[in-house]
Amino acid sequence: MLELKGLSFSVVEKNENGEEKRRDIIDAMDFTFEAGKFYAITGPNGSGKTTLSRLIMGINQPTAGRIFFEGKDITGMTITERATAGISYSFQQPARFKGVTFRDLLSVAAKTEKEEKLLEIVRRVGICPLSFLDKPVDSTLSGGEIKKIELATTIARNPKLAIYDEPDTGIDLWTIMPMVNLLKKEQIEHKTTTIVVSHNRSFLDVADDILIVDHGKLRYHGNLKNALPMLNDFRICSFNPCPEGEQDAQCFR
Amino acid sequence: MLSALDKDLLKSVADLEDIPKGAYNIRKNGKLESRSVSAHINIESDEERDGIIVTIAPGTINESVHIPVILSESGLNDVVYNTFVVGAGSDVTIIAGCGIHCGGPEPEGHEGIHEFRVGKGAKVKYVEKHYAAGQGYGKRTLNPTTKVFLEENAHVEMELTQISGVDEANRINEAVLGAGSSLVIMERVMTEGDQKAVSRNEITLAGENSSANMVSRSVIKGNSRQNFYATMVARQKCFGHIECDAIIMDNGANETIPALRAEHPDAELSHEASIGKIAGDQLMKLMSLCLSYEEAVNMIIQGFLR
Repeated sequence: MLELKGLSFSVVEKNENGEEKRRDIIDAMDFTFEAGKFYAITGPNGSGKTTLSRLIMGINQPTAGRIFFEGKDITGMTITERATAGISYSFQQPARFKGVTFRDLLSVAAKTEKEEKLLEIVRRVGICPLSFLDKPVDSTLSGGEIKKIELATTIARNPKLAIYDEPDTGIDLWTIMPMVNLLKKEQIEHKTTTIVVSHNRSFLDVADDILIVDHGKLRYHGNLKNALPMLNDFRICSFNPCPEGEQDAQCFR
Repeated sequence: MLSALDKDLLKSVADLEDIPKGAYNIRKNGKLESRSVSAHINIESDEERDGIIVTIAPGTINESVHIPVILSESGLNDVVYNTFVVGAGSDVTIIAGCGIHCGGPEPEGHEGIHEFRVGKGAKVKYVEKHYAAGQGYGKRTLNPTTKVFLEENAHVEMELTQISGVDEANRINEAVLGAGSSLVIMERVMTEGDQKAVSRNEITLAGENSSANMVSRSVIKGNSRQNFYATMVARQKCFGHIECDAIIMDNGANETIPALRAEHPDAELSHEASIGKIAGDQLMKLMSLCLSYEEAVNMIIQGFLR
């Protein structure tokens, strides 16, 4: 349902000598996400996970390659157009506003101002207390509170594809499992294709497929069991990058 | 008689569909249009200068006074001095506002000076809206001045709003706070085109344990310009805070200078100021919820000025 073809994102940086050098954050990535599946993308800090998810939502434009959503080329589409097509995105660091409440954001996301509908969504999401509704989404919220609100606005859109960039940042220990269960429940009950960028083992446990990204390349795609050796000792992979086109060998040569 | 145009202006500045209930004084084109007093609130014309004296009896609870001004005559410059004497222990809402409809080429303006003497323990909410409309190209000017004197333990909240159509505004707010009193000012100004708005504020925390919080929100569109100056002077152990945020759109310009002056070692004064464009992360969040760029800008501005 989502296809990445030779997707690249590079930036030009200056080195110590003032010479310009191109750095590939995402390097010619090819991958197809299947409808209704739960994907967990993991990898070391700075490996390109967040950039990859931002490219899919249209927050950043790729420097090369194409993105297809339900067979349609969405590479040139704006964020609004992608959202309208059914993609929803949960930001790693959600925006804080002045004078905008959770109710305002939820009403926009759910396209309704009806109290009963909004309460129904808050109940469905579960992790936000009902009292959150009239909270301003500003700097007075804690890091965990704003992430819960971010998650709720993502789910409220009933997306076909939901992307969550590190949804557990700042979330307390007692909320992580309810959050994991919530995303899994949304996947099963609403057939939401789910992509979670996370380092948290709890998300990897419930994912159908694990993707490991490093240096802008996809190093592994498969189940959690086979990913464990790499997750335990990343050197296994980083010293032996997989050649392109080698389907089954992946990193286990 | 109020015409349809007058009623439209009244609705914009005072949220009034018609003549209000309770005490009111409606001034139209520099003259008294209608007035009503209540058992606890008296309104009389000032003998010495053009304006009114509103006297609120001590202990008046949950009552309101409406004093809108409407101008619909091109070429008129209306100057008025209104005094409010709020009795001790009362709790009232005062709704003022000026609506200008400029239909011709002559400039139109209103200069309103509002002086508040707020008695011990009294609570006042003051709401003031400024609005101008009309097809005429005459310059519309509004120069409001408020002077507030708070006695012991008095509490005043002021909502000062200028949303649309005013070409030039020079606002002056002055306040002197007695012991234990508190003042909250929320000022919202949106300018567009070639409009100019200047706001000068001087708040003196004269009494022990007094507190003041001044919040200013500015949206500057087109080629318009807004300047905001606020000085808080602390003479006793007290608390004061100034928060001024400006969003610049298009080619707008803004100057913001919050100033703090402490004349007592136990004074706690702080300020925060920011000027900038609409934050990119706010736009992206709203666009990811299906809003277009324009709709996202609109929602952010509406929230900011709320």
